[in-house]
Amino acid sequence: MNHTQFQLDEARFSLLAAFLAWIWPGLGHISLGEKKRGVYIMIGVLFLFFCGLLVGGFDAVDRLSGSDRLWFYAQGLCGPIAFAADFINQNYIKQLPAPDQLRTQSLGRVNEMGTLFIALAGLMNLIVIIDALHFIPRRQVAPKSDPGDSRDSGGAEEAGGADT
Amino acid sequence: MNICLSYIPFLYPISLFHDWWYLLILPLSIGISIIYKALRLGSLDRFWHNVVIMSIQIILSMIGLAIALLILVQWIIPALPVD
Repeated sequence: MNHTQFQLDEARFSLLAAFLAWIWPGLGHISLGEKKRGVYIMIGVLFLFFCGLLVGGFDAVDRLSGSDRLWFYAQGLCGPIAFAADFINQNYIKQLPAPDQLRTQSLGRVNEMGTLFIALAGLMNLIVIIDALHFIPRRQVAPKSDPGDSRDSGGAEEAGGADT
Repeated sequence: MNICLSYIPFLYPISLFHDWWYLLILPLSIGISIIYKALRLGSLDRFWHNVVIMSIQIILSMIGLAIALLILVQWIIPALPVD
């Protein structure tokens, strides 16, 4: 069976791509010409982010709360959307009258899971930012066909290493 | 604004997951797999196929770890001598 083979070109160092990757997940890779990859990254990060927001509500992003502040360092890596969610929480949700505010507060595991989802989205986006900063283009090359070798052409679908 | 409605997505947390929190491993593993595979794969031709496989691997690994911890806590540790 012939797999598509990829050759790793020299790394490109781009501060602009890293910044764009933080501004909006996937935008860094799109700016580097990897449009499809960027869209998939965007789907992944936003999926985790909005899942967390859906499960825990806006209360899952809280920059000023003592115990949640550390989590916000990871959540903030999602980019301005995390700061926008925090802005809504601080300026709208927390200003509601007490009975209404109680309903918007997530407690226990629901809060933990919502916070965890958004923090994981941020930490995964950190990997995306680093990849965009030090981007190695994957250049497709023609598959080698060795008639004497019956093995697969070896882990070639993944650039630079073994599958998970 | 009167928010005394039954449920407003994103504003109210989903209380259902107080009891069913472990089901959230499904979207969590899918999200992580999408991002990881988008970065790792050279060719994106079989992207969703790879995402499904990695998600299943994560879920099965977590189930395996849960079973191993259950055996450790329920049977192995109680069987150890107290002294």
